[in-house]
Amino acid sequence: MARVNAGRNILVVDDESESDILRAVRRRLEEEGWTTTVIEPESGHSLGEEFEAATLWSIEQTLPDAVLLDVRFGQNRDDQFRGLSILGEIVERWPKLPILMFTQYAQGPDRETAVRDSLKWDAPVDFIDKLASPDEVVLRLRRLIGTAPESIPIGNHILVDVSARLVYVGEGEDRDPALEIQGMKFEIFRELAVTWYRSPGELVAFARLERYSEGEDPRASLRVRIREIKDAIGKAMNTRFGPSELIINIRDQGYRLVPPKS
Amino acid sequence: MKKFITPIKISGGVIALAGVILLILAPFLGKNFFDLLWAVEPFTYLGGILLVVGLGVTAATYSGAERFIKNSDHGLNGQNGKHSWSETTLQYFQLFDHDLGRPLRRIIGKERELRAVMQANPGSSDAGVIELLDEIERQTPNFRLMMSNIQVLIQLESPASDDEVQLVEPNEVIRRIADRYTPVAAEAGKEITWWSEPSELGLVYANTNAIEHIVTNLVDNAVRYAGTHVEVKLTKNPTHFFVRVWDDGPGIGAQYVPHLFDRGWTPEVVRREEKSSSGLGLFIARNLARQSGGDLTVESDDSPDGEHHTTFLLSLPSNLTAELNGVR
Repeated sequence: MARVNAGRNILVVDDESESDILRAVRRRLEEEGWTTTVIEPESGHSLGEEFEAATLWSIEQTLPDAVLLDVRFGQNRDDQFRGLSILGEIVERWPKLPILMFTQYAQGPDRETAVRDSLKWDAPVDFIDKLASPDEVVLRLRRLIGTAPESIPIGNHILVDVSARLVYVGEGEDRDPALEIQGMKFEIFRELAVTWYRSPGELVAFARLERYSEGEDPRASLRVRIREIKDAIGKAMNTRFGPSELIINIRDQGYRLVPPKS
Repeated sequence: MKKFITPIKISGGVIALAGVILLILAPFLGKNFFDLLWAVEPFTYLGGILLVVGLGVTAATYSGAERFIKNSDHGLNGQNGKHSWSETTLQYFQLFDHDLGRPLRRIIGKERELRAVMQANPGSSDAGVIELLDEIERQTPNFRLMMSNIQVLIQLESPASDDEVQLVEPNEVIRRIADRYTPVAAEAGKEITWWSEPSELGLVYANTNAIEHIVTNLVDNAVRYAGTHVEVKLTKNPTHFFVRVWDDGPGIGAQYVPHLFDRGWTPEVVRREEKSSSGLGLFIARNLARQSGGDLTVESDDSPDGEHHTTFLLSLPSNLTAELNGVR
């Protein structure tokens, strides 16, 4: 899989960072192209205080793209919700830094307090529970970070190069650009790909895609362009995509991207 | 019913007051109208009767209203569902998902580690082991939902429960639920699609936990029973927003629809099979929807042709104001 987030870094702040569940998440983040930095405080002070100081120091040294932050640190009563105090410190100093709270308390009063406080600064803060699948953590981080990467792999055979405005089809080194997908057609496919990257089941409404079509009947023109995109990718993959493959029309409301099964 | 209590109370007071006035004026009215002493009596009786009836009506509305408010505001299925939990029990409830979550995280973490090792060495994979790992991963969403269902049930039945209202972006709530269930659906060869009309619904004042919890249960249920497709659609009008969860499953027979929101009911009960869920989800979802000022309804078609489906419609008020709900 292409490393779509090369050079991006996620800071992991958790006193159980070597637990199996955290290792699985870190592995998935690294598959996604992110590097992970794990906070390992020097011993000396109480556990929570150490983590807090080490986290703030680390952010100051190398501003990460996002922070994955636990709520509870150790069994010390004072550290029960140390993560919320670290959250407050980060939000106050770096209000735009995305923070994903990784906790067993994805709902409930602690989340309410933290969300209310972070909303005061309009900070990008979200909560996810520790039983979430690594894929779910990745999706949540993608949206928190916000900006789409320069290239988006769709399944194993399609790669959208956003900066070069090209769609590559093929596997590994054998990828070739589908040159028929240019201009408005590229914009339509990019729009579908970016939405799929951020939220795989989300439909893109006609109104958003019709900006890239023209003529008296923009809906019909859009339909033709979608067919041409499917044909171009299908030709490069030696297949023909049917109505319920690659780009599908949902109840005449809009289109959704479905990665081809390989 | 609540809106009728105040007018009845006022009417009772007015009748009682009219009775008192009539009692005072009876001697004078009787004289003027009949000019005979005995003619005073009918007005005295009438005044007395009005006073007694008026006081009776007012007293009845006071005690009736208290009982009604107790039942309607906090009751589950029309009963007063509040318990007096002890302080220790409440503290345990607050931590129970942490306590239950720890062994579960260890099991699931170990399962994911083992899977990674096996993927790195494909030759060493044993079919039975893979089946076991798949089953653990498949059951994880059930554990997650069960833990939050129990938490919400405790909140619903706790005397200290309150409905926290915040600014919520419904689209983002649905995105989070889709993130969670898309892999679960894909594993079973099913797909989830969602959209909103208009495409950006904006922000609403609502109870985030309630929306997320209700829709999570609806999507969990839809993914469980769908044939291949689940659709979630968000819409709104000036006062409410709506979440429609549709699945192309076999549908539910009309005779079972009234039981769908009963505590513990699942379709397997009818077939005397092992339950695939606790049957708490829809029960909690409807109670939570109603407690939040909305409702949850269902429409289903179990005809054997291609039209069979089930649709749940959640409606919640979107304009709960900060002043009304104690948001700072």
